[in-house]
Amino acid sequence: MNASVTARRLPIISLQDVRFSYEGGIEALKGVSLSVARGENVAVVGGNGSGKTTLAKHLNGLLKPSSGRVLVGGEDSSKTSVAMLARTVGYVFQNPDYQLFCTSVEEEVRFGPKNMGFGRDDESALAERALKLMDISHLREQSPVSLSLGDRRKIAIASVLATSPIVLILDEPTTGLDSVESAQLMATLDVLRSEGMTVVLITHDMRLVAQHMDRVVVMSEGSVALDAGVEEAFSDPDRLRRCKLLAPPITVLAQRLQAQGVLPKGAATPLQLVELVARVRGERQ
Amino acid sequence: MTRFKDLYTEADTFLHRLDPRVKMASVLLLSLLALIMSALAYLLVLLTFIFVLLLLARSSYRKTAFAMKFVLRFMALIAILWPLFDPSGTPVLIRLGPVVITEPGIWRGLASAVRVGCLATVWYILIFTTSQRDLVRGLVKLGLRFDFGLALAIALRYFPTFGTVMESIIDAQRSRGMEFEKGNMFVRARKYVAVLGPAIVSALKTADMLALALQSRAYGARRNRTYLRELKMRPSDYVALVTVLAMFIVPTVAKYAFSVPI
Repeated sequence: MNASVTARRLPIISLQDVRFSYEGGIEALKGVSLSVARGENVAVVGGNGSGKTTLAKHLNGLLKPSSGRVLVGGEDSSKTSVAMLARTVGYVFQNPDYQLFCTSVEEEVRFGPKNMGFGRDDESALAERALKLMDISHLREQSPVSLSLGDRRKIAIASVLATSPIVLILDEPTTGLDSVESAQLMATLDVLRSEGMTVVLITHDMRLVAQHMDRVVVMSEGSVALDAGVEEAFSDPDRLRRCKLLAPPITVLAQRLQAQGVLPKGAATPLQLVELVARVRGERQ
Repeated sequence: MTRFKDLYTEADTFLHRLDPRVKMASVLLLSLLALIMSALAYLLVLLTFIFVLLLLARSSYRKTAFAMKFVLRFMALIAILWPLFDPSGTPVLIRLGPVVITEPGIWRGLASAVRVGCLATVWYILIFTTSQRDLVRGLVKLGLRFDFGLALAIALRYFPTFGTVMESIIDAQRSRGMEFEKGNMFVRARKYVAVLGPAIVSALKTADMLALALQSRAYGARRNRTYLRELKMRPSDYVALVTVLAMFIVPTVAKYAFSVPI
C-alpha cells in the first residue's frame, strides 16, 4: 500500500463508546464506536427511531455525547463549536426548507462560505463550483422557495458543499423525490465521491445503498448492529429483518437464484450480479 | 432547558374531574381574591390552601418542580426588591444614601410576593389538571365561537411542533457556520432572519395543509355542531363552585362592607 492510500485511510471522524440521552431520559445511543476514514462512503441505515439521526448529529457537534468521545479531524467535538466543525463536516438536513431563506439561489449558496469568513473571491469560486457540481447554475437568479423539491434539495446540498467540507452528511436526501430526480442526485454524489469526498448517507432506501455505497452501518435500538461492507451486510436476510430492514430486490433475486443453484454464492450489488451472470455464461459457453 | 410538550398530566383526581368551566371560574375568583386581600396573614392562608390544591392535583414531579422553581424565584425577587423601592411608612430600619428600608415596606414586599405566588400557582393548577381540549371545550360552551375555539386548540396543539421546527432550523443554519452567540444585540437579531424566514414558510405550508385536511373532513358542512362529549354540570361541580364563591364573597364583603382589615 503506497503512502497516499494510507493517508486517505486515516480516520476523519471517530466515535469512542458514545452514549447519548435526550432530556426526558430516553437513551438514543448506547455506546457507539465507529470510525470513518477519509474518502470512505458509509451508509447509515436502520428502522425509524434506531438512532440514525442522533448519530449523524454527533458527527458535526450539533449534539454532544453524554459520555464517550467524538473526534472530528482530531478535535474533540465537546470542546469545539459547531461553526468550527462545520468547516470539516457539512450536514444537509432532510427538509431543505429548514435551511433555505435567501431570495436567490446564488445568495443561498454563498451564505455558508460568508459565515465562515472566506474572502469575497474564494466565496465566489466556492459558490460557483457548488452550483456547477449540483447542476443548478441556471437557477442562480431564482427564488429557492418557488422551485421544485428536487431542485430545493440540490440547492440545500450546494449550499453546504460551498463551505468545502471534507465530509458530507446527507440525511435522507432522496425522500420525496421521483425516480429520475433521485437517480440524478445519486449520480451527483458519485461524482463527489470520485473526487475524494467522504460521504455519510442516512437512508431507508436499500437500493441506493447497494448501488452507490461501500460500507453499511446498521443501527438498531441505539447500537451499531452491524458494520460491514455492502456485500456482507446484505448476505444475511434474517439479521437484516431483525434490524427492521429488507435487502434490496436485486440482492433478494440473487439470493433466490443462489438457493435454486442457478448462480454461485456471492452476489449482493447490481454490479456484482452482472459480473456473476457474465461469469456463469462464460463458463457455459 | 427543560421543555414539556404540555404541562397537563393525566390523572384521576377531583380536580381533573371538575367541569372545566367551574375550574376556570374558580381560578378567576381565587385570583381576584388574591388581588383584593392585602393582609399578609390572610394571603398566607390563601397560599396554603392553593398549595394543598397543588398537592392534590398530583401533577408529575418534574412539571411541578419546573413551575414552582420559577414561581418561588419570582416570589423571592419581589420580596427582596419591593422594600428597596417602597420607602413609605415608619419605623425606618436602614438608611443608606438614597435607599430607605422601612418595616411596613418589608411587610408589603412579603405580601406582594405571596400574592404573586397565589396568582401564579392557581393558574398552574388549572393547566396541570385540565387538558387543552377540555379548556377549549369549556370556552366554547361558555359562548366562544366554535371556529375560534378550534383555532385556539390548533394553535396550542402546534406550539411544541413549531418549537421542534425552530430547533431544526437553528441546527441547519449552525451547520452552515452561523454563530448565533456572536456579535452585539443588533447583529444577533439580524441573524434570526435566517431562522424566521424558513420558520414562517414552514408554518404557512403547515397551515395550508391543515386547512385542506379540515375541509376534506367536511369541516363547516353543517351550521349547528353536535358534540361527542357534552359538558354537564354534576352535583360535585356545583358544590365546588359554591364553595369557591363563598370563599370569594365572604372576605370581600367583610373587607368592603364592614371594613375588616384583611
